[in-house]
Amino acid sequence: MTDYWVSKLFFDLQQDAKLAAEYRADMPGVLARYEIKPDVRQALLEDDVGKIAPLVNAYLLRFYFQIRGMPQDEFIARLHALKAEKGKAHG
Amino acid sequence: MADLVGAFAASHGPIIARDWDTMATDHRERLAAGFDELGRRLKACRPNLLVVISPDHWVNFFISNLPAVCIGIGEEHDGPPEPFMRKVFARERLKGHAAFGRHLLQTALDGDFEPALSHRLKLDHGTCIPLWRMAVDAELPIVPLLINDLEEPMPSIRRCLAWGRLLRQAIESYREPLRIAVLGTGGLSHSIGEPTMGWIDEEFDHACIRHFADGEDARLAAFLTEALPRTGNGAHEIRDWVVAHAAAGSKGFELIDYFPSPQTLVGAGFAAWRVAA
Repeated sequence: MTDYWVSKLFFDLQQDAKLAAEYRADMPGVLARYEIKPDVRQALLEDDVGKIAPLVNAYLLRFYFQIRGMPQDEFIARLHALKAEKGKAHG
Repeated sequence: MADLVGAFAASHGPIIARDWDTMATDHRERLAAGFDELGRRLKACRPNLLVVISPDHWVNFFISNLPAVCIGIGEEHDGPPEPFMRKVFARERLKGHAAFGRHLLQTALDGDFEPALSHRLKLDHGTCIPLWRMAVDAELPIVPLLINDLEEPMPSIRRCLAWGRLLRQAIESYREPLRIAVLGTGGLSHSIGEPTMGWIDEEFDHACIRHFADGEDARLAAFLTEALPRTGNGAHEIRDWVVAHAAAGSKGFELIDYFPSPQTLVGAGFAAWRVAA
């Protein structure tokens, strides 16, 4: 299910280098400007790829974790772990 | 009257720009050879206008306002906003062609298509990586045709085929004697930001190539409609190839090169069509 405000945050961060710099320096301050649910906000603070992935377009997700500075290999590994978990759940 | 003088397609991907200087030499050389050959062929057909069919990677549109199709009808457009693109393709402005853009828009509306329009688009890596690597002349005007390939629901493959035919109709009904080429960018298979990220579905890619060569629109549409939901999300950009294919008359597909490119995360494809009269 698409989360509009998380999507909007990711879109804005991609569009605005100054906002992205501010986000790196003060995540809670920037997050406070968006109507993001508390559990999702926590997931953002914890870089919880699995929790965030279903909420946004996959391309925006990729941009976001680039802005967060997560190495591509780590990002891919975390995504692959979701596939493994899904496999177990349906096992 | 204008003429369609060439139809081409090429993959794109941010890593092609970001890691161009650092990727393995043999890999870079193979990518370069594909783009170079397309650039050579484009130059050989002496176009004076290029229609580029590409997705928008969230640089112009957002889910608050997301057109299925948008035609750039401005006199100029902005260069790529992505920092990794500015290092390799530092054009602030790209020349547009307002008159043909408007003609394409009017032809669409007259034909019961309702695209969005833009007087000024930002042309991201999807458009500009092929322009950069194909060494397309900065003076060649561009008419962007942006297709939503990124966020579901997306235009059907049947509609993309119809868009290609409409584009051809617009070219052939344009009063100035322009030589117009089309370039579809994106694909082939890739998977971005989803649990299969990095997967290159070679079986899908080879089937696409067979269907383009086959030239039978109904079979191509049936295959893609069935197969796209089962492969990586990046493969949706095949819509841009489909538009170019139909503009070329759905005949004369020629694969220049295809290879899985794990370093750039895409099934890298380069193609041209021998344009049917």
